[in-house]
Amino acid sequence: MTVTDKRNRAAAKLLADVHAVTAKEGLTPSALHAIKLKLVALAGKKELFPLADFEMPVAEGRNHPLLVEDNDGHGLYLTISLPGKEAAPHDHGIWCVNAAISGRERHRFFRRTDSMAKPGYATVEQVGEVMVEPGSGMAMADHDIHSTVVVGDAPAIGLALYGYALARFPSVAWYVPQFNSVRATPSRRHVAMA
Amino acid sequence: MAHTPKSHRVTIVNTKQVIACATNQTILQAAIAAGIDYPFACATGNCGTCTSRLEAGKVSLLPRGDAALGPQQIKAGQTLACRARPRSDLTITWLSRAPG
Repeated sequence: MTVTDKRNRAAAKLLADVHAVTAKEGLTPSALHAIKLKLVALAGKKELFPLADFEMPVAEGRNHPLLVEDNDGHGLYLTISLPGKEAAPHDHGIWCVNAAISGRERHRFFRRTDSMAKPGYATVEQVGEVMVEPGSGMAMADHDIHSTVVVGDAPAIGLALYGYALARFPSVAWYVPQFNSVRATPSRRHVAMA
Repeated sequence: MAHTPKSHRVTIVNTKQVIACATNQTILQAAIAAGIDYPFACATGNCGTCTSRLEAGKVSLLPRGDAALGPQQIKAGQTLACRARPRSDLTITWLSRAPG
């Protein structure tokens, strides 16, 4: 069996396990935690993810699909982000779990603090932080807000599991503290339903 | 004495405005500071909302995601206002919506 075969089999097993967890208890915080532990365990099997199998980013960040389920199911990706790559605070509109294969990515978590009365305006405050590095991960519910930045000199390579495939993502809300702004990117859900 | 970064003149075609943009500032930051309703969402090179055409001049780009700005777009003269810092006076047009 090739490494690709082993990786595909491991990805399928992970998704089967994830469905078993959510079928049993729904998408509760404890379910997301259990999913995170499973993803961390898979990311720890470095032999399944040789760098030679995955092209490096042309710029600083790239996602490689590992397993995208049919019927509007989950999406599992290997992500590569180079030092300095960042993302402002955002939610995904869908749950998300990350685990590191190598490198370090700092995730900061936020909550919205404004009244949501003024379109386009938002303030957020940091409520937590985790360094996603080998042996660790993070989990977010649909509307949890996080920011990311790759720290150190090495690329951050990891696994990312989303409730929907990236190509079928709902609207993502981006918060830019510097501008006190919130802006939503268009939903891709209509494409999924077409 | 504090060092003042050099700045360049940035002409925004959509609004016919000319603003100053420091070399340590992105075009988006300078535009927002000048009160211009420049389209953006993530401001960190991930979503592509601020994709713009560089009509003239030079920029340097901060880290960004591959999906936000591809090599073909760069070849076609496109850039991301949120990631682009001026290296000369420049002229730029945002592409994502009609002038605000």
